[in-house]
Amino acid sequence: MIPALVDHLPALQVVTPLLCAPLCVLVRPGRAAHAIASFGAIASLAIAARLLAEVLDHGVLSYALGGWAAPWGIEYRIDGLGAFTLVIVTTVAAVVFPLSRASVEAEVEPARRHLFYAALMLSLAGMAGIAVTGDLFNLFVFLEIASLAAYVLVAFGRGGPAKLAALRYLVAGTVGATFVLIGIGLLYAATGSLNMADVSARLPQVQQSTALKSAFAFLVIGIAIKMALFPLHAWLPNAYARAPSVVGAFLAGSSTKVAVYALIRVVFGVFGADYAFARLSVDWVLLPCAAAGVIAGGVVALFQSDVKRMFAWSSVAQVAYMVLGAALASAAGLSAALVHMMNHALMKAAIFLALGGIVYRTGAVSIDALAGIGRRMPLTLAGLVVASLGLVGVPFTAGFVSKWTLLRAALQGDAWLLATVIVAGSLLTLLYTGRIVEAACLRSPPPGSVSTGTAEAPPGVLAALWLLAGASVFLGLDTSLTVGVAERVAGALLESAAGRWR
Amino acid sequence: MSTWHLINAGLLGFMVAVAIAVAALRNLFAAVMLFAIYSLSAATLFVALDAVDVAFTEAAVGAGISSILMLATLAATDGREKQHRHRRALPLVLCLALAVVLFAGLHDLAPVGDPAAPAHVHVAPRYLSETATEVGVPNVVTAVLASYRGYDTLGEAVVIFTAGLGVTALLGGHFRRRRSGKNGDV
Amino acid sequence: MSLSGSYHYLAVVLLMVTGLYVVMVNTNLIKKVLGLNIFQTSVFVFYISLGRLEGGTAPILADELSRYANPLPHVLILTAIVVGVATTALALSLVVQIHRAHGTMEEDDIDDREGGATIS
Repeated sequence: MIPALVDHLPALQVVTPLLCAPLCVLVRPGRAAHAIASFGAIASLAIAARLLAEVLDHGVLSYALGGWAAPWGIEYRIDGLGAFTLVIVTTVAAVVFPLSRASVEAEVEPARRHLFYAALMLSLAGMAGIAVTGDLFNLFVFLEIASLAAYVLVAFGRGGPAKLAALRYLVAGTVGATFVLIGIGLLYAATGSLNMADVSARLPQVQQSTALKSAFAFLVIGIAIKMALFPLHAWLPNAYARAPSVVGAFLAGSSTKVAVYALIRVVFGVFGADYAFARLSVDWVLLPCAAAGVIAGGVVALFQSDVKRMFAWSSVAQVAYMVLGAALASAAGLSAALVHMMNHALMKAAIFLALGGIVYRTGAVSIDALAGIGRRMPLTLAGLVVASLGLVGVPFTAGFVSKWTLLRAALQGDAWLLATVIVAGSLLTLLYTGRIVEAACLRSPPPGSVSTGTAEAPPGVLAALWLLAGASVFLGLDTSLTVGVAERVAGALLESAAGRWR
Repeated sequence: MSTWHLINAGLLGFMVAVAIAVAALRNLFAAVMLFAIYSLSAATLFVALDAVDVAFTEAAVGAGISSILMLATLAATDGREKQHRHRRALPLVLCLALAVVLFAGLHDLAPVGDPAAPAHVHVAPRYLSETATEVGVPNVVTAVLASYRGYDTLGEAVVIFTAGLGVTALLGGHFRRRRSGKNGDV
Repeated sequence: MSLSGSYHYLAVVLLMVTGLYVVMVNTNLIKKVLGLNIFQTSVFVFYISLGRLEGGTAPILADELSRYANPLPHVLILTAIVVGVATTALALSLVVQIHRAHGTMEEDDIDDREGGATIS
């Protein structure tokens, strides 16, 4: 890449998808908009990969927007955590957007497809902005861009139920964002700054302040709503289940991860682990919520008859796993959370793509509609099962790596109860995966169904599904990419926070 | 000085009363009109707090556009809220808990107007002292909005674009279909 | 001093609670959107109160003045107001579509399971 361009990568990461959005609207035909969105997603992945390499080689990147130095101007600040999150989000986008055109065409009306792709781009731009910005209020603005785009995407689902799910998501999301805004206001009032690094440096002077505790509470609750942390998860299952399958694949893969990123950024990056855990003992709130989320998400998923809802509930459980890792506040726990962010993004995107493929052929994704699918769509089902086994944490899948690192982190902290919860959550996942396999392979197809030959998911969707499922197996065998990077990122986060409060 | 406090306290008290009335009213048309009054009182309060740009925007956008959108929605739907049975205990407890957390935080801040408050001494003074030379606009709010924090303003434009796109996707198709019969389905 | 300094904040808390309570308790969707707006406006009042400087004037530079209110909270709230109205517009168009599909704006009247994820 041209050296001059490299300096502007942080801005390009946001601007590229941002410019693709109006282009999608302008070109109108769905196929052209699809091409633009695909380009935007792949270019974003290239930029993110380059940023991660830069950050790992040369350390934190700072970019002053408009040339105004922080804290007066807005700073984009990319460290390992931000770059890692960017790679997760853009990978999901770069696999899902280009290859899932058939699924979009089956589920979104022709007259609105260009708007659909534009909304996907806006959502990607918002998430990228969250991960690159070093300014608290700018974080709020990007959070709202990503969220508004997500509400719109959910509303692209068919009929009234999708609109109601979108509205409930909007109400919950707006309450969450407003909490974040209150938290930012309190932090500004206490420190006089909006720049994260500057706020963080000034916090020790006001560490006794109640305003600081209040700010922490509002920020954590606000972000917890955005990430659907139990018991603030009520908006998620219907939103993901009723959205078009492609939206499910993209949002389930990326949106909650970005919220987990925001939590880690605020708790470890801005406040610091010492303040959050030693002084405020936030783990006493986060760990029980996460543990309850793992169990409740798994149990409710087990009893769903709609498979999309089943996996949406499973997302509630998986987000809880990530929070559990982060709330252990150790290097091992934090890197386990990061590894699981990456692995879950790939697996959940694969699962929703597989479900999109099944919707494409059968028009429904209830357990009953899956009967006999094993014979009609063997490759699609196999991809779904491989990804689900990853979710369970079976050896030789990426899920095993994240569950294993999480388990080790819990045992390191002598948290036997949490270790039990982690294992129990996996067993629940195994049970509901079993329900799908049982329906798809052992039950005979409903008598009414006409087609008897094989009718797989559309080729593109199938390719994307197997790309993601294959990546899940690959990351299960070669852990240097995820665990290696995550351990460095986690180490850097805890190190930068240590000692500031003494 | 005490007139200033009297105006502020009066406006704030009025806003709280109107907000509670909006919450209690079952007639949605009346509730929306009261909400417009609530927004106008907020705008007046912002003038008293020396935030004229914000006051103008709140009056135009909060009281104006939002209320018109709500009235238009009411015209397209129902005007009355149903009598319903719902659980009030848990929301009340949660709200009170949040109120305590927020008030504890706010109470700890420097009093409103205190020149020694961190908000007034760290980042902001530079905007006031340097805008004239660095940006050259007398209105410092405009200068910060357009220059120092210009990218927030860009983000704001993107938010409007996103919402506009969503509204078009949701309502545009409906009107198009109404005109040309049923052709929206796959 | 304590009272004259913090009655703004007391009002902010009351407004926040009122708005949030409406959002949580009311099942009428328009009422929920109204509650959301009351809630958001309470935060605007908080920020603008932060910007106030005793004896200051609006932050528009003039030769004869030297004490100005803090412009930064004003800038942030200008953005937040626009974000708020964008959210409201989107929410209301969803309400219109929900009313069209279900014939009601009362959340609890809409049978949640009806329709599900099946494509009609």
